[in-house]
Amino acid sequence: MIRTRPRLDLTRATAGTLALAVLAVLLGMGALFFWQSVPVWKSEGIGGFLTGKQWFYRHERYGLWTMLFGTGAVALIAMLVAVPLGLGAAIFTSEFLSPKTRLVVKALVELLAGVPSVVYGLLGVLLLRNWIYEGLDLRTGDTLLTGGILLGIMVLPTVMTLCDDALQAVPARFRRAARGLGLTRQETILHAVLPQARSAILASILLGFGRATGETIAVFLVIGRQDNRSPDFSALVSPGQTLTSKLGGSELNIAYGDSLHWGAMMGVASVLLLISILVTVGGRRLLRRP
Amino acid sequence: MKFPCAAIAGSLLLLAGCGGDRPASTSTLKITGSTTVNPPVAEAADLLREARGWTIHVDTQGGSSGGVAAVGEGRAQLGMASRPLTIKDAAKFPEAQLVTTTIGSDALAIVVSKDVWDGGVKGLTKTQVRDIYESKTTNWKELGGPDQEIVFFNKEPGRGTWEVFAAWAYGGDANAAPPVSHPEVGANAEARTKVASTRGGVTQLSSAWTDGETVFALAVDGTSPTPEAIASGAYPISRPLNLLTDGEPAGMAAEFIEFMLGPEGQALLPAHGYQPLP
Repeated sequence: MIRTRPRLDLTRATAGTLALAVLAVLLGMGALFFWQSVPVWKSEGIGGFLTGKQWFYRHERYGLWTMLFGTGAVALIAMLVAVPLGLGAAIFTSEFLSPKTRLVVKALVELLAGVPSVVYGLLGVLLLRNWIYEGLDLRTGDTLLTGGILLGIMVLPTVMTLCDDALQAVPARFRRAARGLGLTRQETILHAVLPQARSAILASILLGFGRATGETIAVFLVIGRQDNRSPDFSALVSPGQTLTSKLGGSELNIAYGDSLHWGAMMGVASVLLLISILVTVGGRRLLRRP
Repeated sequence: MKFPCAAIAGSLLLLAGCGGDRPASTSTLKITGSTTVNPPVAEAADLLREARGWTIHVDTQGGSSGGVAAVGEGRAQLGMASRPLTIKDAAKFPEAQLVTTTIGSDALAIVVSKDVWDGGVKGLTKTQVRDIYESKTTNWKELGGPDQEIVFFNKEPGRGTWEVFAAWAYGGDANAAPPVSHPEVGANAEARTKVASTRGGVTQLSSAWTDGETVFALAVDGTSPTPEAIASGAYPISRPLNLLTDGEPAGMAAEFIEFMLGPEGQALLPAHGYQPLP
């Protein structure tokens, strides 16, 4: 045990102030968005705003339902793409690669996680949209499915590298004990390692989900931005709208100066902020659980 | 470049001479708004940058309404708008005094993709356009075209193009347009690309952006948007191209408008497919 150093009160105070400042920015932002969105909550009611199926500002109708559906649908599709691939790749890097190779592969994957989203968006416009349009013979290639697959590819590196960390965190003695009991390598991973890493893997998935719900520009480019499409199964292969693509469009400019319309846009922002906070906090809590 | 440099330099010198009583402004001119008004304005800005050494920023944030908002909030000296100003615009920015200067006009075309055009749809009536907009007509074969679903790309409501379209289709009142559900497009280039790359595609587009190779302008109520038909007023959907200022134009903004209204500026309009002022 190292001798405890005397407390540096200045350091503590500075760090504490900065931490509080970060918290204040977050709370301030949330409060500002909510404050600005009050007109729409008043006009539509909380339930009405969240579940309203119509968004048409010319008639002052504001409902988030199709956008919530769009956000949920693209994030779920993204997870369907990213989780099997990411977890599979993580099992490979963590359990089958030598530590040296693993670090090289991980560095490359993390490089992918840093590629600006607009670049993914352009790839989506260039390739994915057309594949989906021609491959599935749809009305247009801009669909929730396109956005979801693109997002899946985007969050794949995040999910993979976090899952890999989760698996690495499982102490080696579990593997040794399992092998000692005569389990094969596959059985060891399936029955000893994965259960131990379960909550951390869930956390990685949730964090990937959070990134998918908040992503804007790449989604904006391939989603089609169609309001008022009733949420049903075929809506997945039709153009749609997400909370982020609504905020990313030029409607903010139009809304400015009109308190109700602006309030509705800020309402979209508030709901988006709330979703991303909930998902992130949930993910962090899972991550901390032993 | 469309004109001999010497002629431009000469006329600019003349212009500069006329405006000699004003102090030479060395600040920056910011212009923003409609992607429709943008091409001739951007070219004028290029010419003025070169000839007068001005610093001019031109961009197209948020289309016409973005232009109105930018001038209303004082973020730009000049706004571009491809629609007339509305009472609502004025109400949104009570502190600004929005002044419109029309620099030319444009026809709004209903454009379709190649398969629709080649399939025999060459024109629509206002009623037919409205039925497409309201999704009452959903297949081109109902309009004498190929058996192909109609994919309507709606210009974002609030964009100049949409406002002019909706006002034309719904008896002069854009607010009478019913809520619809279509994929939306923003800038003109995006609208053109989407229609060009989608079978059965149709959208509202500035006639200057129709090229007759990838997207095709339909006749509306029997009249095609040819330059002659637009100039004579026979083509039914046209609109002013406006520059907006807060208060009467002054300083660089005034000089810019002066240039746009002068012979050089007016010559830029047909060069980009628009109508100059009569």
